Amino acid sequence: MWFYVFVSPWLVGFLVFLLGPMIASLYLSLTEWDTFTAPTWVGLQNYVTLLRDDPVFWKALWNTFYYAAISVPLGLALGLWLANLLNKQVRGQRAFRTLIYLPTLVPLVATAMIFKMVLAPSGPLNQLLGFVGISGPAWLLDSDWVKPALIVLSVWGAGGATVLLLAAMRGIPRELYEAAEVDGAGPIRQFWSITVPQLTPIIFFNLVMGLIGAFQIFSQVYILTKPVGGPNNSSQMMVPLLFNEAFSFYHMGYASAISWLLFAVILVFTLLAFRTTRKWVFYETEVG
Amino acid sequence: MAIGSTHVTRRGFLGFTAAAAGVITLTACGADSDTGSKGSGGPLVMTVWGGEPDRKAYQQRIDLLVKKYPDLSVKLQLIPSDGYAQKVQTMIAGGSGPDIMEVAENVNVYSSKNQLLPLDELATKAGLDLEKRFGSIGKLYSYQDKVYAIPDRSGAMIVYYDKAAFEKAGLGTPGPDWDWAKIQGAFQQLTVPGKTWGYAGAGWWAQWWSFVYQNGGTIIDPSSGKPTVTSDPVVEALQWAGDLTFKSKVVPTKEQYADMGADIGGDQAFAGGKVAVNTTGFWAISGLKDSKVDWDIAPLWRGKDQAVTAFGSGLSISRTSKNPEGAFKAIEFLTSAEAQKVIIDTGQDVPANIEVQKSDAFLKPSWMTKPVDMTAFAKSSEFVYRAPFIPEWNEMQKAFDDGLADFWLGKQDAKSALTAIQSQLETIVKPAG
Amino acid sequence: MSVLIQAQTTAAEVAPSPGRGTRVLRAFKATPFTYATLTVVSALLSVPLVFVVSIALSSDQTVNANTFTVLPHEFHWENFVRVFGTELPMGRFLLNSVLISLGAVVGQVLSSGLVGYAFARLRAPGKNVLFMVVIATMMIPAQITMIPQFLLFKELGWVNTFLPLIVPNFFSNAFNVFLVRQFVSRLSSDIDEAAMVDGLGFFAIYWRIMLPMLWPILIAIGIFTLTHAWGDFMGPLIYLNDESKMPLSLGVQYITSTSQALQAPPWNSVMVGSILLTVPMIAVYYFGQRYLYEMDISGGSAGVK
Repeated sequence: MWFYVFVSPWLVGFLVFLLGPMIASLYLSLTEWDTFTAPTWVGLQNYVTLLRDDPVFWKALWNTFYYAAISVPLGLALGLWLANLLNKQVRGQRAFRTLIYLPTLVPLVATAMIFKMVLAPSGPLNQLLGFVGISGPAWLLDSDWVKPALIVLSVWGAGGATVLLLAAMRGIPRELYEAAEVDGAGPIRQFWSITVPQLTPIIFFNLVMGLIGAFQIFSQVYILTKPVGGPNNSSQMMVPLLFNEAFSFYHMGYASAISWLLFAVILVFTLLAFRTTRKWVFYETEVG
Repeated sequence: MAIGSTHVTRRGFLGFTAAAAGVITLTACGADSDTGSKGSGGPLVMTVWGGEPDRKAYQQRIDLLVKKYPDLSVKLQLIPSDGYAQKVQTMIAGGSGPDIMEVAENVNVYSSKNQLLPLDELATKAGLDLEKRFGSIGKLYSYQDKVYAIPDRSGAMIVYYDKAAFEKAGLGTPGPDWDWAKIQGAFQQLTVPGKTWGYAGAGWWAQWWSFVYQNGGTIIDPSSGKPTVTSDPVVEALQWAGDLTFKSKVVPTKEQYADMGADIGGDQAFAGGKVAVNTTGFWAISGLKDSKVDWDIAPLWRGKDQAVTAFGSGLSISRTSKNPEGAFKAIEFLTSAEAQKVIIDTGQDVPANIEVQKSDAFLKPSWMTKPVDMTAFAKSSEFVYRAPFIPEWNEMQKAFDDGLADFWLGKQDAKSALTAIQSQLETIVKPAG
Repeated sequence: MSVLIQAQTTAAEVAPSPGRGTRVLRAFKATPFTYATLTVVSALLSVPLVFVVSIALSSDQTVNANTFTVLPHEFHWENFVRVFGTELPMGRFLLNSVLISLGAVVGQVLSSGLVGYAFARLRAPGKNVLFMVVIATMMIPAQITMIPQFLLFKELGWVNTFLPLIVPNFFSNAFNVFLVRQFVSRLSSDIDEAAMVDGLGFFAIYWRIMLPMLWPILIAIGIFTLTHAWGDFMGPLIYLNDESKMPLSLGVQYITSTSQALQAPPWNSVMVGSILLTVPMIAVYYFGQRYLYEMDISGGSAGVK
């Protein structure tokens, strides 16, 4: 029963601050509510409309998948790679660590402005591509390239993952590396046979949080694309879509339905991720 | 080593706990004020959007108000523009909307949902003649024949032109008597391919809608409330606007704009001397004060008719206001000539009050660095068209944004784009009874 | 007591952490290639930042015509002064930011460790279900629960106070709970089991044995919470009405907000505001590293089997 004493802060917070609003949104998803006048009960109508008659919903769902499928693994790999580099004995380590973490600290308004410049049709990025003989696309203006542009932005923030990985790397016993060195294993082999396995609980954490975060991508789309989710909804994602419905079109019921469908999608993927843990995540103690 | 740091850690942790208690206490201290302000005797809460300059302008007007009516007190709540709609929405949903609320194109989102007070009676009682004070836009913010907001700021879209370039090309001065053919001819003469363009473009609703109404078209038919965007005048006007980019190439394409810099639009391109003509609102003046371009302003050219979009905002009273009479008294004063003068004196915007638009304070503002033909605003006020501020305004704009994306990239013609938009609008717009 | 001593000796016996020993192991040896890569990556990531500074130092004229350059070509330091020259109470904004974020940090650090530890170590019926609930709460976008939550806080009379921005943090959040659970699960349970045999209660085990080992992760949680609370704009926007209560993240908006939708914001001021918001966080991270990565807590090593 100590368990319940220990988790009581979360439990109380959940019951007081979260559960009510969650139930409210579930109820609202079965209504039509303009947030001003009383909601009208419509049963499953919102869900039916979304799944059957709303092409933008499906487009947004597909776009969100696309974004998550590429940005999550990419972010994991880059984060791990950078953390490993930053964990080496280098001069100016703190400065390097700070510079690599920095992008996540800059307010998004500033980032967005800069990225619009960097991603201009003849901006720095395309000039760079030009050097290697690639003629770059119009990125944010091109419906085929606006999603990759958002992924580029997510890559810029990949350094955010290094904090936890570095903190975890510090906990890896030195003896493991010493033993490996005696065995004549090179740094790359040590990385794969010691560092990575030891970090799996944190990699798993980054994976799950990355999934949840990617499926809920919002500000980047909101601030970088004009109109939001444009051109022509080719970068429309689930949360910007429901935000528009809720706060621009005043369809709170419909927006709530979107959010619960999104919930279901994320739940499936997260459960899948948890299913695989036994195969690759190494805990010192049994947690599940 | 390890032992020492463990101890430090724990002591640090205790210190943390103490700090926590401190913060909570501090917070709690700040909490007690302002809970009782919603009583009928409390100050009127007035929400407006904008930044620091806007706060100054509004606060000065409120100060004048309080000086005149010491019994009124108004608490100004300035909300950053990006969060305004959401903040107000949450306030109203929470049952305590502002007393006085700034609204614009989306006014009927609120009025159609019964969140604003109709103001006709209050106006009659106060002896306020809207048409006399504000001209053709007096009843701009109406829904089902009732007025829900009093115009406060209202500047027509005007033409900014490169005076030197026009003179050099021997084109004279553009004005409200120029028709499409004549202005297009000027655009062509002023375009140097790949370098400068004759016109900044009409991709924004305020711009191409002006051409629609000049051409005798409507976006929403005022009598039936039905969307009418596939009618010939609308298609023709939009096609003309699009052809300026892709046929006669006197307007930069989106790619060309993106290459000029991030977030660059007509205002910046004009200030940078990249385009010779730009159609936009009053606000661009402040950005041109120290531009190298020798510029002036004029009323918009004409089509078959004269028509132009006006930008502005009005002041409304929330239904939850405990003191609607007081709120109206405040609005009446804030839109009077005396208080409206502040709007131009601070360089914030164009006051909606016609008398002020024609006054010297407006025609020769003290902050203006060069002679500019400010009469353009009052002249334009005469032919501002009534834009359809339907309750589904935001959804309608989104439909246009999405539906015209390919059109503005030159991948689609006006007719097919508008046909698709029309069918979408028919599902969005519920004709008002 | 004996367990405590045992724990400390175990920790003390273990060689200093990776990379900080007398001899640099091959896994941590920096080659010229390491330097080259780090330099290139850092440089690439800094370009946008240099750009931010360049825009912050641009003249109004440059802003109006939008003719920025990546490297600063003019130095209008008065842009920084100007921000403080308005009637806005910048000092007050800063103080409010500090109070709100500090409150949030304290709350999360105090509560998350406890809850995360319980999910990793303690046994109870319903634990796994409850853990799935924890994870599931993150899957509902915050945007959709915002209005119901506002109504709740209004009911409590907390609108226009810091309370809605601080108090929920004292009840931990799913992200941090999950994070602590993952960290604790990497530690061997030998020590706490021995402690239990010794008759130490769960609280004592947590307080005396777990907490010191969790220090880095609590610091990490502190940094995340701080950055988030510091930059949060939506929460203060919704819950605070008085200017005197607003944090910097919201106050900066007054400098950058325009009164017309199509009007371009004063980009130089926007960037000045961004820099004001970013610099304290950079400083915290730069100096916080000492506690985050460099302190001798010997976390995972304490319990090597």
